[in-house]
Amino acid sequence: MNSLGITLAIVGAVCAALFAGIGSARAVGLVGEAAAGVVSVDPSKFSKVLILQLLPGTQGLYGLLTAILMLSRVGVIGGGAVELTTAQGLMFLAASLPIAIVGYFSAIAQGRAAVAGVGITAKAPEHNGKGIIMAAMVETYAILALLVSILLIYNIAI
Amino acid sequence: MSETTKYASAVAAVKAMENTLLNRSDMEQLINAASKAETEALLSSKKGTFETNAETVWNMIRDYAPDCRETEILLYKNDFHNLKAALKASVSGRTAEKYYIRPTNLDLDKLSEDLGSKNYDALPEHIRATASEAYDILVKTSDGQLTDSFIDAAALAAMQKSAKSFGGEFMRKYAELTTVCADIKTAFRCSKMNKQKNFFETAVCGSESLDKDSLIKAALGGTESLLGFLETAGFGEAAKLLGISGAQFEKWCDDIIMELAETARMRSFGPEPLEAYFIAAEAEQKNLRIISVCKEFGADRETITERMRKLYV
Repeated sequence: MNSLGITLAIVGAVCAALFAGIGSARAVGLVGEAAAGVVSVDPSKFSKVLILQLLPGTQGLYGLLTAILMLSRVGVIGGGAVELTTAQGLMFLAASLPIAIVGYFSAIAQGRAAVAGVGITAKAPEHNGKGIIMAAMVETYAILALLVSILLIYNIAI
Repeated sequence: MSETTKYASAVAAVKAMENTLLNRSDMEQLINAASKAETEALLSSKKGTFETNAETVWNMIRDYAPDCRETEILLYKNDFHNLKAALKASVSGRTAEKYYIRPTNLDLDKLSEDLGSKNYDALPEHIRATASEAYDILVKTSDGQLTDSFIDAAALAAMQKSAKSFGGEFMRKYAELTTVCADIKTAFRCSKMNKQKNFFETAVCGSESLDKDSLIKAALGGTESLLGFLETAGFGEAAKLLGISGAQFEKWCDDIIMELAETARMRSFGPEPLEAYFIAAEAEQKNLRIISVCKEFGADRETITERMRKLYV
């Protein structure tokens, strides 16, 4: 049995969950710092800054989703792991890269945009929505990366 | 978290507090108030219990960013002023308490103690050498003005040195602009008073934008020569205003520092927005003092408006 193929697929699933998750954790933490700064001065803005803090958390969820789909596709979840060639394993590993890499960097970038949005909320709470939209724009690229990863996972012939 | 995302919490808190600074419309109302009492009542209704005096703002900045060393440079002018006060008090055997300015980086009790015992090595590094030299100048010459000028120039040099050593771009520019303004003012005054070259050498600090030797040479030739030099050195507006009145030049100095502060206002990270807020709070206090004094002496609206410093918000 060629165990390298399935190992590479599992490494792919780990990469997707790991890097997107790390990116989200760093970004949510960063926005949380900024949000705490605002709330320490004006606690009434808590709910407004909380939305901004949640935004860069989605990449971690996309990474988790990709990992689950990949593990399910190769049978690690649900029993009966399929036998993969090294080439197929590499394909699954490659399929994880869009969300792993784009997820990590887009989470950080979204976190920075969300911190700027926290600044808008602090100074002009009535324009909070604009800060949310600006930060949400970064999400587009994480969604595109997720889409590519999912398309690849379901179109690799096994 | 990396350097580029430092002080996110402090900056966000400062942005929330910027709302408590007085804006143009608030200032207009204060200027239009009929009397000093009315100004004070209006101010109290606008500010409520929230204080934006320099000491409160400084303590807040230190609470949020206690590890931010470069913000200390903002207090060097107070530190060196306090050194002047403590030194004179030490020599004359009086107490300097009522002459101290706060906030300061110095432990003022320890400062008096160390100066009294001439234990200069125990002083903070940025004032150590200046304290020892200033003491020598004061006891040898008994010239308070020369000692003050020496300490003022040393404060500017210390600001520039510290800004280059551990400050960012914003702080380097702040130190540079502060030095330029102080040097022009000193050179102009000394030129009017026909001071000797050695006094200029002690009182002028010099900076990259305004060479010390060239400035002294021009100032020794008289005020016209100095103003002409400033125009060629890229400080035409300063020279023009200095030719009109000292008050207008002072306003120009404060305004260019505020313009620098405005460049930091849009940032979401780093120490610059904190420093800019401190500068803004100081400027607000200055504006309130101007309004208060003008109201007390019955100055008209135009006079007050002309003297008002640029606002941050």
